[in-house]
Amino acid sequence: MGSVGVLLPWEHRISSVAREGKSRVEPSERGSQANPAGVNPEDAALAAACRAGDLRAYERLYQLQGARMRNLARNLLGTRSDAEDAVQETFLKVQRSIANFRGESSFVTWMFRILVNTCHDARRGRMRRKETVAEEREEGAMPPEPRAPGAHPTLKLALERAIAQLTCHQRDVFLLYEVEGFHHAEIAGMLEISETASKNTLFQAKKSLRQMLEAPRSSQAGGA
Amino acid sequence: MQITCEDRERIFRDGSVEEWAALEKHAGSCAECAYEVRAWKSLSTAAEELRDYRESPRFWPRIEAALTEQAKQGELRTSWVERLAFWRNLPTGWQTALAGALVLLMTATAGYFYSRPGPIKDDPNNPLLKDRALAEVERTQHDYMKAIDKLASEANPQLETASSPLTANYREKLLVLDSAIDELRVQAGQNPSNAHLRYQLLAMYQEKQATLQEVLEIKQ
Repeated sequence: MGSVGVLLPWEHRISSVAREGKSRVEPSERGSQANPAGVNPEDAALAAACRAGDLRAYERLYQLQGARMRNLARNLLGTRSDAEDAVQETFLKVQRSIANFRGESSFVTWMFRILVNTCHDARRGRMRRKETVAEEREEGAMPPEPRAPGAHPTLKLALERAIAQLTCHQRDVFLLYEVEGFHHAEIAGMLEISETASKNTLFQAKKSLRQMLEAPRSSQAGGA
Repeated sequence: MQITCEDRERIFRDGSVEEWAALEKHAGSCAECAYEVRAWKSLSTAAEELRDYRESPRFWPRIEAALTEQAKQGELRTSWVERLAFWRNLPTGWQTALAGALVLLMTATAGYFYSRPGPIKDDPNNPLLKDRALAEVERTQHDYMKAIDKLASEANPQLETASSPLTANYREKLLVLDSAIDELRVQAGQNPSNAHLRYQLLAMYQEKQATLQEVLEIKQ
C-alpha cells in the first residue's frame, strides 16, 4: 500500500505530503484556539460599522469572508449562480437584521448561520420545484462548474456526489469543518447545536463518506 | 500514554492532541490502525478539493448595488423592529411604566369608541329601527298625518255633498284606506321597531294623500 491506506479513487493523484501542512487533518486544530474567523479582532468593529449602515464595512466583510461564503454556498447548493444568489441574499438579510445582532456569538458566526439557513431555504425551494441537484445532473441540465486550478475532477465529482448523499446536518458539519476550516465551537453556534453534537455528526459524516468512497479492502489488496 | 486499537474510534470522534499522537505511535506497529488512520486523514485531505476561493470581481459590485438599493428603499428605516429598538435600551422600570401607559391608553381609546353611539344607517333591509330612528319616524309620521288630516278637512265637504258615482267611489276608497291605516297603526303600536309596518303605513298615507288631491281636483 502507498502513502494512503484506503483505495480512494484519487489516492495516487493527491499530493498528501504537500498538503499536509495546510489541510485539516486531525488533531491539529482541536480546541478553541487558532480560530481564523472567531478571533478576528475586526469582528465587533465590523458589526458596529454595519449596524451604522456603512457600506465599506460590508465590503470589508466581503473581503474577509466572501470567498468562504461563496464556496460554502456552492458546495451546499451545487451551482455557482445559486451560491452567489444565496450570498447576496445573506448580505441583504444581514443589513436588514443587523439591529437584532446582540453579539452573543461572533459576527462572522452569526452571518454564516444566516448563510446556512438561506442555503437550506433555497434547497427546500428547489425541492418543492422538483429541481434537485441530482435530477439536474442526471438530466444534464446543469452546466459543468469550472473547477479550481489544480483540482482533480474525478475526486471532486466523487466527493460531491458522496456528500450529496449525507444527511443535511452531516453535510453542513463536514463542509464547515473540513472544507471551510471552522471549529466545532463555531459550527455549534452556526447550526445551533452542541459542540459534542457537532463532533459526533462529523464523525458519522466521515464514516458514511468512507463507506461510499472506499473500495472493498479485498479488491484493494488485489489491486495493490 | 497507552493506546490500543479499541481507542481508535473514540479518538477519531473526539481525541485530544496527545491521544492522536499516541494513536499514530501505536499505528507504527499496528497495520489495522495504520490503515484506518490514513483513511481517516485522507478524507480531510480530499475535502480540500472542494475549496475554491477564486476571486469573482463582478460579484461584490452586484452585492453593493443590492445593499444600496435596499438602503434607499428605506426598509431599514421603516422597519418596526428597528424603530422600536430604543425600547431595549431603556431601564426595566421605564419599560414597565411605558407598557402600562400604553395599555391604559389603548383601554381608554377602546372604551371611548365602545360607548360612543355610532351613526344610524338607513338600511331598508334592516327590519328593526333603532330608538333614535324610531323617534324620528314617529315625529315625521305625526306631522305627515296632521298634513293629511288638513287635506281631508278640505276635501270632506266635496265628498259629503257630491252624489256622483266617481265621488262615491272616492269616498269608498278613502274608507278602505282609513280602515287599513287604522289597522296598520295598531300593529305599528304593538311593534314600533318594525320598519316594514312603517313603510306600509307610509304607502297607505301616500295613497290617501293622492286620493284626496284627486277629490280636490274634481272640485276645482
